[in-house]
Formats: sequence, structure tokens, C-alpha cells
Amino acid sequence: MRRSVLLALAVGIVLADSAVVTLALPQILRELGGTVTGVAYVLISFNAVLALAAVPAARLCHRRDPAPVAVVGLVVFAAASAACALAPSISVLIAARTVQAVGGALAVVSCLELLVVSTGSEHHGVRRWITAGVIGTATGPVAGGLLTEAISWQAIFVVQVPLVLLAVPGALSLRGTGVRPLDTPQPGPRRVHAGDRPDVAANLALGLVSAALTAALFLVVLLLVEGYRRSPATAALAVSTVPLAALLARPLARFAKAGARSEIVAGTLLLAGGLVALAYLPDARLGWTVAPQALVGLGLGLTVDALTLAALQRKGPRVRHGGWTISARHAGVVVGLVLLTPVFTGDLRDAQVPARESIAALVLDAQLPPKVKIELAVGLAEQLSKERGRVPDLHPAFAALRLGPIDRIVADRLEGRLDDQLERAATQAFRDSFLLAGGLGLLALPFLLPLPGRRW
Amino acid sequence: MKARAVALPLLALLLVAAVIGLQVSNGGGTFAPSASGDPCNPRQVQSVASGIDGLSEEIVLLGLDGAACRLGLSREALLLDLAQDQRPPGTVEAVRAGLTGAVDRLQEEGRLPKASVLANEAVQLSNLSGFVKRALGAIPDRLIDSQLDTADVLRRAISTIDVATLLDSLDDPGSLQRSVQDAVVGAARDEIVDRVRNLF
Repeated sequence: MRRSVLLALAVGIVLADSAVVTLALPQILRELGGTVTGVAYVLISFNAVLALAAVPAARLCHRRDPAPVAVVGLVVFAAASAACALAPSISVLIAARTVQAVGGALAVVSCLELLVVSTGSEHHGVRRWITAGVIGTATGPVAGGLLTEAISWQAIFVVQVPLVLLAVPGALSLRGTGVRPLDTPQPGPRRVHAGDRPDVAANLALGLVSAALTAALFLVVLLLVEGYRRSPATAALAVSTVPLAALLARPLARFAKAGARSEIVAGTLLLAGGLVALAYLPDARLGWTVAPQALVGLGLGLTVDALTLAALQRKGPRVRHGGWTISARHAGVVVGLVLLTPVFTGDLRDAQVPARESIAALVLDAQLPPKVKIELAVGLAEQLSKERGRVPDLHPAFAALRLGPIDRIVADRLEGRLDDQLERAATQAFRDSFLLAGGLGLLALPFLLPLPGRRW
Repeated sequence: MKARAVALPLLALLLVAAVIGLQVSNGGGTFAPSASGDPCNPRQVQSVASGIDGLSEEIVLLGLDGAACRLGLSREALLLDLAQDQRPPGTVEAVRAGLTGAVDRLQEEGRLPKASVLANEAVQLSNLSGFVKRALGAIPDRLIDSQLDTADVLRRAISTIDVATLLDSLDDPGSLQRSVQDAVVGAARDEIVDRVRNLF
């Protein structure tokens, strides 16, 4: 396989890790224990360390040969992935994730340089690096969900080990090739001195867009798996709309020929609009999530790569600015998670009261014999007490009932209506988080204004 | 080029508006748990059970509305409080008043069964000996109905029942049923004794 493809695959895998375990979080929570907020740190720790380590890693790559840096990064990432798979507790998993992020930061920024060298073109190398990151980010939750459903959450980390190590021989073969701008496709003055400052507007916009995207991926998955109690595979299938739409975005942009700024503004509007649409789902059928997720996917495809390119455009040293974009993106992810996690967990807790009351009303008014109602109420109370801040599974309370055929039909209908009430409560509980995330996306718009001195 | 630059964001806005519009027109934004009904506006209740069980359920459901109305809560909130052993101040009195109000309403609607129907079922469900059960069963229904009024028996049962204990046994169907049966049978017995006393 071509060296550049394997290097791009490694970049995609590392950046997919930003959200790859999203669909596995409920299973991790069940197996390793802890709280919803605690388990969110499996995502937060990785992204926070990646954000902090990306720029120092880029400095290292600028001063030294990036090939050995890439090899060290890939090996550390692979070893930490194996440690994640073997983690016996949530704290060990979080610790392994931080090491994974350090390795990931070294691997991703060094691969930017190696891709430029291996493709023989700065334009193609940078493009491939950006595209790998976008595809990785978009497909991460889908791949993670399918692996969790088919095997286990540990499989996500096991699979990564050989895949990232495949890039090691390619990286080693580029040792000593040096890093130079191989072509200069961009017109205009090029500044390549070490003091070149990062593009603050592009990076801030990238961070805010990433924060909103996190919400789209993280919240949709939690809503589907925890709120609507869909399997990880079903949720993965549903969220695959995002990467599919993201892939469509580039051909659409090429067709529109509207310019980078226009694409980014349109993408930001689509992303924020998709999140607002997710806040207003008419019911819990998965079909309703498709159009909002398609908007999010188109937004992702139009914004992230164009903003990354804008942040790298006519800037030097390239690797350092690449590091800044990684740092901005993952800092945005952390901001999104840190802001949204308390909001939706709080809203989920608040949603328990109306959910319990609507369940009580339906049981009281059910066309079932009074003794069955009391027995059912006792079983439901038991299930509700087990929820620990999560949406409860009411089925065991119904399964435990011994009923005649007619009462069973009535009970089955009642179970469906109670599940509907829980889905309503979950949808309502996630509403504010989706709106907040949409607001984060819109905050990127001021940074996209064509102000003097802005070169894109 | 400039027109294209403006057109793409406008197209994005149109797409977003179309999706949100479609969702809102299909109920988006209103997909929330059902709101609790007003307990001061009692609903129609009809138990699927018959006899004492059905009557008890109807009285309890209407009584719960009445109690919740008096306490200024929804019936669901009151029920959940009771299930968690939390009793707002005045709960016992409110429940007793609610149950009495329920009997009044069923009487007004002519939905209370005759005393003989309840008495026969109570005897059959009781732990009396077979001989006593047969002896009591031999009493003509007309005589029972002439001496006992269902509403009076139920009001007496409600006034004497230990509501606090009843509320404590909400999660124990067997204990709840025994408490209600004992109260109804005891009230019927006391009602007969009173009638007999009044004859002399």
C-alpha cells in the first residue's frame, strides 16, 4: 500500500479517537462504573492533552527530523491504545487516554510533514492531511459504535494498534529526507520565519466549529443510545449520515465555486442550523435525525478543512501552524464537552420529575386490574431507582408480570406508551444542549468577516 | 463570483429553514412528557375489575384526585411522594376527605353497587368457616339491601380505616387488599349493629 495512504490512515485514526469511544461510553459506564460526568473525561482527557501537546510536538518536528518523531508518536499511541483496551478501571482508562493523546499529537503533526514529502507536493500533502482528519473525525463514532456492538468497547482500541503501526515503516523510510516547501502554489507573499504568528481568527473559528461538532456527534449518540435506548450499531448507522454528508460537501463546494469564506460561512450556518433542528425533533423515530445530521455533515465538510487550510495558507513553518489547528480543534472539543456535559446531565436529572409523573399517570389510568397495576408500580419504582441519572429501562418490570393474553396486550401497549414518555423526556432534556451547541457554532461567524489583514 | 459567494450561505439558510420548518410543523418542540391533569377537575374513572376490587380502585383514583386537589399537588406528584414515604403535611386528612368525596361522587352518579353485592363478595373473600359463610349467604339480598346502604358503609369504612397504615402498605397489594376488606366488612358489621340498636 502506498506510504502516503498509510500515513493518512494513521492521522485519521488518531483524530477519530477524539470521538471514537462516544458510542461505547454507555457500555464503558456499565462495565467500569462511575458517573456520566466521569465517563465524559474519557473523551475530555484525550482532547485536552492533544490540544496542549500539539503545538510543542509541532515545535519538535520543526527542529528535528519529523520521521523519528512520527515513529515515536505512533508507537506510543499504539501502546497506549493497548493499555486502554486492558484498562480495569475508569481512572486507568483516562490515564491511558492521556498517554495516547501525547503519542497522537506527535504522530499527527509529524505526519503533516511526512505527507508533504511522500506526496511530493505541499498542496497535495496538506490536503491529504486535512482530509484524513475530517474523515477520521466524522467516521470515528460510526466505527466505534459498530465495533462496540459487534465485539466490545475494548475492540475499538485493539483494532487501532496494528492499523497505526502500519505507518511506522513508511515513516522510517522518510528518515532524513528533510522538510521543505516543495512547491509554492499559493500566490502572494510567503512568510516562512519562525516568528510567524498563528491565524487567530481561523483557529478560533475552527475551535468554535469543533465545539459545535462535538455536540453533534456526542449528544446525538447519547440521545440515541441512552435516551432512546437504541443499540450502538443502530446509533452508528444513524450517525453515519454525518460522514456521508461531509463527503458530499467537497464536490458541492467545487460545483458552487463560491470561495473559501463563503463555503465556511455556509458550513457554519448549516452546522448551527442542524444542531437547532436536532433540538426540535418531532418524535424519537431515527428518520427525523437524518436531515439535521445531513446539515451537520455538510457543515463539517465545508468548514473544518477550509478553515484548516485558511489557518495554514501562506504561513510558515507549516508544521507549527498545523499544530495550532490541531490544538484549536481539540481545545474546541474540550470546551464543547466541558460546557455541555453539565448542561445535559442536569437537564436529564430535571427531566426525571415530569417523566416519573407521566409514567405514574399512565399506570394509574391503565386498563389493567388494580393488583397488576400495584405490582407493576412496584417493579417500575425499582427500575427507576436503578437509573443513577440515566434513562431507565422499564422492560424488566413488564417482563416480570404474569398476565393473561388480554392483559398482556394491554401491558405491552402501556409499555410502549411509557417508553414514549421517556423518549419525550430525553428529547426535552437534550434540547438546551443542542441549542447551546448551535450557539457555539454561530459564535464562529464574527471571525469569518472579511476584515483588513485577513488573507482568506 | 460575488453573487455565488452570497448565494451559498443563502442556500444554507434556506436548507436550515426548510428542515426546521418541516420538523416544527410535525410537532417539533412539543415532543415532551404529557403534562399532569388538574386534580380539582376530576376525571372519569372506570376500573376493568369488578366487585370490591373495581369499586376500591375507582374510589382510590377519585380519592387521590380529591386529596391532591386539597394539597395543591398533581395526583401523580402526590402518589410519587407517597411511594417514597414522603407525606406532605395534612396528607392523611386530605386522603380521607378525598376518599369520602369519591364515595359521594359515585353515589351521585348512581355507580355504587347494592350492599348485598358487596356483602356477598366480602363474605366469600373472608376467612370465615364454610358453615358461617353458608349461613350468611342464606340471608336474602333484599333484607341486606333494606338494612344497609353501600354509601353509608363505605363512609363508615373510610372514617374508621387507618389511613396512615394504608398509605404505608401501598407497595404491598396483599396487605392493601386486607386493610380495605377488613375496613369494609367491619363497617358493614357496625352499620348492621347500629341499625339493630335503632330498632329498639
